[in-house]
Amino acid sequence: MSVTREELAAFADGELDADRERQVAAAVAANPALAEQIRAHRALKARLGAHFAPILQAPVPERLTAALRSEPQVVSFAAARARKDRARVLPRWSWVAGPALVASLVLAVVMPRGGADYAERPLSTALDRQLAGSQDAAGPMRILLSFRDDSGAYCRAFAGEAHSGIACRDDAGWRLVFEGAGVPVQRGDYRMAGNPAAEVLERAQALAAGPALDAAQEQAARERGWR
Amino acid sequence: MLALLPRLRRFAAGLARDPADGDDLCQAAVVRALDKRALWQPGTRLDSWMYRMMRNIWIDEQRARTRRGETFVAEEAGAGVGAGGGQEEAVELGVIDRALRTLPDEQREAVLLVMVEGYSYREAADIVGCPVGTLNSRLVRGRDALLTRLGDGV
Repeated sequence: MSVTREELAAFADGELDADRERQVAAAVAANPALAEQIRAHRALKARLGAHFAPILQAPVPERLTAALRSEPQVVSFAAARARKDRARVLPRWSWVAGPALVASLVLAVVMPRGGADYAERPLSTALDRQLAGSQDAAGPMRILLSFRDDSGAYCRAFAGEAHSGIACRDDAGWRLVFEGAGVPVQRGDYRMAGNPAAEVLERAQALAAGPALDAAQEQAARERGWR
Repeated sequence: MLALLPRLRRFAAGLARDPADGDDLCQAAVVRALDKRALWQPGTRLDSWMYRMMRNIWIDEQRARTRRGETFVAEEAGAGVGAGGGQEEAVELGVIDRALRTLPDEQREAVLLVMVEGYSYREAADIVGCPVGTLNSRLVRGRDALLTRLGDGV
């Protein structure tokens, strides 16, 4: 059976009808070259998602929110100048702005609990408290992004020097659904490609039921204890 | 609409190929949406409506620029615009930005709507105003061009 490139992309995006999806799935299982194309498609999707994710986390410029307010904006010169000064200090797409919630974390420990691995402190503390939009860029553990899986559970992709992975919240705590290698820190920034973080993000893409949470959604989820 | 702003900014940055132009585009879309809010039908999706409006503004602007004989910023300009200010990161952001920049508008918007914004083919086709099959083939051509430029390892 032949599969067009369009059908292959639609398969990778979950866009085929059930019959055709079964047929293409069989073709992909039997043909490593097709499987590789699916992998490349999903990897590209994960990389593009990670590339644009910082915009979701960044504060929206005031002129955009101001445009939404119906009443005319009267802004004093001093306030306008203070805002400009602030803008000079913060890079436009700064997503590491804001105080660190968790100042320092050491090696994360994982404990088995009834057959599944759950995060122990301090990893569990970081998962409970750290927000992707406001965390210490130079800290030992970073939350890459947060999302919900098919069951509606909150999941968080994280990366640190010691290890990286994805944990989802359930009744017993943060269950580790994927574990990857440690991610080297380079001058306080994690590069998104060519390292284990890219693999974590790719897995996150596959697990996520929708787009990553933005800063406001993440904060709201934390306030509800991620349940 | 306030809650949509981060997503609208993301789409605008990709569409306009530059974050600063993206925010200008985003602002124009917000202003037009407020202006035309009477035309929005409650019960339909506000996000799709806003994306469609933003995309149309972008296309109008493109045509106007072409008429004025203006060209785009040099390919390398803006390559250093990135998050965090880390040099390594800026270089990495530049690779993807430059690759996206080489795509024709119709392929880039298909890639952005489906692979970044997470719309279904049907929803993306509605926003663009083309048949689903056309959207699908633009997506594949855009994706293949990106894979070639970025390397198959991605």
